Amino acid sequence: MSGAPAVPAPDLAALRPLLWTCAAFAGGVLLHADRVPPWAAAVALLLVGWRLLTAYRGGADPGVAARAVLALALVAIVLARFHTLNGLAAGTTLLLLMAGLKLLETRGARDQVVMVAAGLFLLLAACLDRQDLARAPLYGLQAWLSCAALAVIAAPATSARAAMSLAGRALLLAVPLALLLFVFFPRLPGAFWAIPRNDLALSGLSDTMTPGSIGKLATSYDAAFRVQFLGPIPPPQERYWRGPVLHEFDGQTWRRNAFDLRAPVPRVHVGTAYRYRVQLEASRQRWWFALDTPVGAPDARARLTYDDQLMGADPLNDPVSFDALSYTHTAVMQPLEPAAQHQDTALPASRNPRTHALAASLRERAGSDAAYVQAVLGYLRDGGFVYSLEPERLGPDAIDDFLFRTRVGFCGHYASAFVVLMRAAGVPSRVVTGYLGGEWIPFGDYFLVRQADAHAWAEVWLVGHGWTRVDPTAVVAPERLQRGIIDLLPQELPVRARLLHASPWLMQLLQRWDAANAWWTNHVVRFDYDSQLDVLARLGIRSPDARYLGWAFMLALCGWLALIAWHLRRAMAPLRPDPLARAYARLCRKLARIVPRAPHQGPLDFAAALIARHPQAQAAVLPLLTRYAELRYGPPPERAEREIEEFSRDVGRLSLARTVRDR
Amino acid sequence: MSAPDLAVAAAGDADAATLTRVLATLETVILGKPAQIRLCLACLLARGHLLIEDVPGVGKTTLAHALAHVLGLSWQRVQFTSDLLPSDIIGVSVFDRASQQFHFRRGPIFTQLLLADEVNRASPRTQSALLEAMEERQVSADGTTYVLPEPFFVVATQNPHEQLGTFGLPESQLDRFLMRVVLGYPDAAHERELLRGGDRRELLAGIAPVLSTAGVLVVQRAVREVYVADALLDYAQALIVRTRAAADLKLGLSPRAGQGLIRAAQAWSFLAGRRSVLPEDLQAVLPSVVAHRLERRDPAEHAGDTDVAAEIIRAVPIP
Repeated sequence: MSGAPAVPAPDLAALRPLLWTCAAFAGGVLLHADRVPPWAAAVALLLVGWRLLTAYRGGADPGVAARAVLALALVAIVLARFHTLNGLAAGTTLLLLMAGLKLLETRGARDQVVMVAAGLFLLLAACLDRQDLARAPLYGLQAWLSCAALAVIAAPATSARAAMSLAGRALLLAVPLALLLFVFFPRLPGAFWAIPRNDLALSGLSDTMTPGSIGKLATSYDAAFRVQFLGPIPPPQERYWRGPVLHEFDGQTWRRNAFDLRAPVPRVHVGTAYRYRVQLEASRQRWWFALDTPVGAPDARARLTYDDQLMGADPLNDPVSFDALSYTHTAVMQPLEPAAQHQDTALPASRNPRTHALAASLRERAGSDAAYVQAVLGYLRDGGFVYSLEPERLGPDAIDDFLFRTRVGFCGHYASAFVVLMRAAGVPSRVVTGYLGGEWIPFGDYFLVRQADAHAWAEVWLVGHGWTRVDPTAVVAPERLQRGIIDLLPQELPVRARLLHASPWLMQLLQRWDAANAWWTNHVVRFDYDSQLDVLARLGIRSPDARYLGWAFMLALCGWLALIAWHLRRAMAPLRPDPLARAYARLCRKLARIVPRAPHQGPLDFAAALIARHPQAQAAVLPLLTRYAELRYGPPPERAEREIEEFSRDVGRLSLARTVRDR
Repeated sequence: MSAPDLAVAAAGDADAATLTRVLATLETVILGKPAQIRLCLACLLARGHLLIEDVPGVGKTTLAHALAHVLGLSWQRVQFTSDLLPSDIIGVSVFDRASQQFHFRRGPIFTQLLLADEVNRASPRTQSALLEAMEERQVSADGTTYVLPEPFFVVATQNPHEQLGTFGLPESQLDRFLMRVVLGYPDAAHERELLRGGDRRELLAGIAPVLSTAGVLVVQRAVREVYVADALLDYAQALIVRTRAAADLKLGLSPRAGQGLIRAAQAWSFLAGRRSVLPEDLQAVLPSVVAHRLERRDPAEHAGDTDVAAEIIRAVPIP
């Protein structure tokens, strides 16, 4: 970009392919703009701008040495940032930057095609990264833009409109094939193409809880999972979705205990059996949320722990779906194991002295553990406690601070305080985290459980009943059982969510959108090997397996190719013959019973051949054939249509039987 | 092709009758070759030059003579030899002492029908001088252009070029002949008649012209009026395309050959008394129009079957 005085005026028309190339590539970059480090996207877009500027002003592109140095520097920066070049995030960043550099050395159409391919590869990476319904149109647009760019590169004179229309038609034509491939291309179970992605920050419950940690989740509008009941639906006060069960308390934070492979305690199940299907969003955790309390593990991918919690074999990097069975009322007959007894009554001795004192006095007055539970609940109900998402910070003796000073808290505070009070009186108890409630989505007949529905409650061991769920939050804020936090504490929500929530119309729209998303996730994103087998079964194959899938795939592909071949044949075939040609063809068909006409035989030659074989046919046939010759090859008569009609009628009247009988 | 004279419509009755007489007269001179005679006449009526190829002694020159006679045209005959010079045909500028000027003495080419006998025995230089004149219908000498008379035909005869002392005409020059007609030996009956009768050339003297210069021009104009339908052009194009697509042919038909094909078919149609060209007319003239233009890539492979045209006709259905 030296300021050379005699820069030739740029030929804008000649720049069009480059412009489209840049647009296609920039589209690919933008798809990743919020995923790669911001500087990487900015550098890629800067490179696009640089290339366009040099092309426009006619300046020189950077030399080989400059490009090499730049490339090495960028690789080094990516390495420094990610410590690897592998994986989706690092790979995408690298591709973004290197393709941007490649743009600097694009000369001819071939290079431009390479750039568009890079844009399409970025699209592929984006598809691997995120498959939301909301992004599907963006992906479609990028594919469209890239195809249009290819059209312009191939024929630079193509107008933008023509290119877009051509690309659009090409993509539409490809849709059936894409659908076929989508449905029938054998999907091997276990996505081996899955790319390690440790860069995902997902919200959700973790295996620790401080009294305030759940409050952070409460403002998150993201979906945690969706549940579809296959039979009866439990009442609102029983829609507890069991998650991590926390045993250890250090005065501030609750934790799960160390890894434990004990078998679940056998329970007696009481009341209604609830069958349901859960679709978990990816959480990068191993918890599988199920209605409290699940009966056994739903399948081999998860197990039921000793504290009745479903634990997946692997962290949930992708959404998962499972069918489960739960009872909301259970009992355990045998006594609590000593180890569990010890674990679930342990408290840090030196902490929360006032709480210990309170527990001692309450327990003394209560006759039994069950009465004590009621007494503590009564204390919480009548003690002037307030339910709020934004409690004050608590001091080192958090429970004392909460119970006797702030008295403002959230489910975490109440569950925590309740369990500490129980343990202080020697009653085995534990904190259970999970979700409570869920939003009924009428358009898809399912419950949507959001992160905002995160909840914590307590379980106490009562002799003769076993582990019993007690939700201290319910006595402080009974309405929490009926309604979500969003309804309960609207002022705590971010403005956007509050606005959405204020309008029933928007709310409905939101629900519809979630239903569409759920459908998309279920039927498109998570269409897997099993779903393929389902399709085969629906097509009437009794014991479908991969072999049938292969056959179906081949069959569908061949069918599609045959369709294309048929279409091409039709497109290339001569136009539909005109009425005269049809009439002549009919005449020839009729006469073929006596003498067939060779394809290269003209009408008069044909007549001569006919008459030579059947002289008696002359009177009938000769006038017709000469008339055809006149109509076809002579100057067009004044009323051609009518004459052709008459000719056609006379052909219809020609009776060979009569002609031949004359013999 | 023996298309029966199933006249679609009697075209220019007087002319048709006259042409029938022309044909009849020619047939009295050249015995047993009505198809070839008809082709030759069609070629001339289509304003095309004619190449007659055959072994010596089958009546090539006689046919050319007879054509000139019957059509009432002035004619000249040049016997081509290897030492014939271009000026021997075109003419030469000679210094006229009386006027102290160069004066162009016109060569034999300034005639209406030039019989170029054994054209392939002349040197390529002489050949090309003649062939240029054929195409331009004018000659240039010493910076002056002389227009040749109307009509102007060249009827060239050549011996098959395998014979000794011949210079084969290159493809570009062969393309200027509208048709090549092969006479062939007469059949037994006509041979006997030939043997019995005397020299055919003596007959020529007794032949009265049937047409005149003006008559020929009128007929030529009428030939150009013969209607060519789009459907027929489709067929002609299909035939031409087939010659270009055929794998075993060295070259396809040139656009000039295509134009000539249509003109020849018009003339043929006119001779048959029709006012529009039929596929049969194209098929009738196609063999002579393509005979000298299409050559097989590998003649040895197809030794024996020489009829390229028939093969093409069979391969292309009439649309």
